[in-house]
Amino acid sequence: MRIPIRMISLATTFFWLFLIVFFVSAVYSVKDVRFEFGEPQMGLTSDNKMLFSLPITIDNRGYYNIGSFKLTTEISDKEGFMIAQGSTLIPLIEKRRETVATHNMTIDINDLIQDSQDYLFNDMKLEVRETVGMELVEVIPVQVQTNLSVHWGAPLYNFTLGEIEYTAFNITHMTITVPIIFENHAFFDLTDNIQIHMYNSTNALLGESQTAIEAPQNAPYQEYVEINVSTVAITETGYFKLYFSTPFFNFGPLVFPYG
Amino acid sequence: MAEEEKGFKKRLQKFTGKALKATIKGVLFYGIYFVLSMFLAPISEMVPGFQQTIEIFVMVYIVLMVIGELTGGTIFQYFFNAAKALFVILYLIFSLKGGIVGMTIQNVNLIADLRLFLAVAMLLGLLGFAKSVFQAINFLNEKAEHVHI
Repeated sequence: MRIPIRMISLATTFFWLFLIVFFVSAVYSVKDVRFEFGEPQMGLTSDNKMLFSLPITIDNRGYYNIGSFKLTTEISDKEGFMIAQGSTLIPLIEKRRETVATHNMTIDINDLIQDSQDYLFNDMKLEVRETVGMELVEVIPVQVQTNLSVHWGAPLYNFTLGEIEYTAFNITHMTITVPIIFENHAFFDLTDNIQIHMYNSTNALLGESQTAIEAPQNAPYQEYVEINVSTVAITETGYFKLYFSTPFFNFGPLVFPYG
Repeated sequence: MAEEEKGFKKRLQKFTGKALKATIKGVLFYGIYFVLSMFLAPISEMVPGFQQTIEIFVMVYIVLMVIGELTGGTIFQYFFNAAKALFVILYLIFSLKGGIVGMTIQNVNLIADLRLFLAVAMLLGLLGFAKSVFQAINFLNEKAEHVHI
């Protein structure tokens, strides 16, 4: 019976040593792994969605490979409604090598506007959930999760039409000058085309015009749009209908009464 | 009287030998822990209580090991060895919270799935326990063989 006991002793000692050395070296190896997140970039996809790109560099100077690296970003509003989701999977990060990847995420602002027009006109807080999952040494699953609160800046913040000016154009027509005022709080420059339709109190279309605007981010905007309307048809009260067309979204009509 | 003194000297010599062996084993084990703890330093800085957990484990393990050595040559040695193996299993289960270890640092939640490590460690612990049982049976067997009827 002594020999089997000795064999068990030897095997147990060997496997304990192997397990401890493996675990300690795996933990020690993690300290030599560096994650770097580059400057986020923004672009436009072929189907006119906003594209966020976050370059990720993983420098694995440890002793072991890292498997199934997955970065997931979920953006939701304060009610928990999911706005955007994106994930990036790197199946294998080899040891002693630098791996570069890009974490992409698309946001369809048209979808957002359908849910709520507040995204265009009001600033708000959005919840971002970042999850990083990976398999250390390709066998130990580890997950890191954090919640962030980010500021959503409305591209047409405080949008309003200013005091309307009436100028005689000729005997039958007059020129209506409508000031357009807003602030672009968004993180992108707004290149917009606004169509404005003027209606009288009997819902008859008096005239229409359009203007191209360029509003840089975080800057106030004030410009004028002129509409030639028939003097006869004009009434004391009525309304304007505005249609917005940008590379990121199309929106309208937005109704503003006058008089 | 002289025989009694001789017997006492022999027992003292035997006990000193055991104590020396236990001390060497304890110091060696602590030395291994000391070296490994340097490699685990990054995790100790990150995880609060990790160092303490390991230290308690090492302390109890060394105490059981020393007692096991001091009771060498008796059946109690195997009891303490079995207790040591069971302690390893139970301590790992409790300290690793069933294999899913989670912690929160500021706003960041970290979850590590150590179930595979725990399973292997538990199997090795059970193997150690089985070994102690076998040794105890073997010890009793050998004792029985030496009895002259």
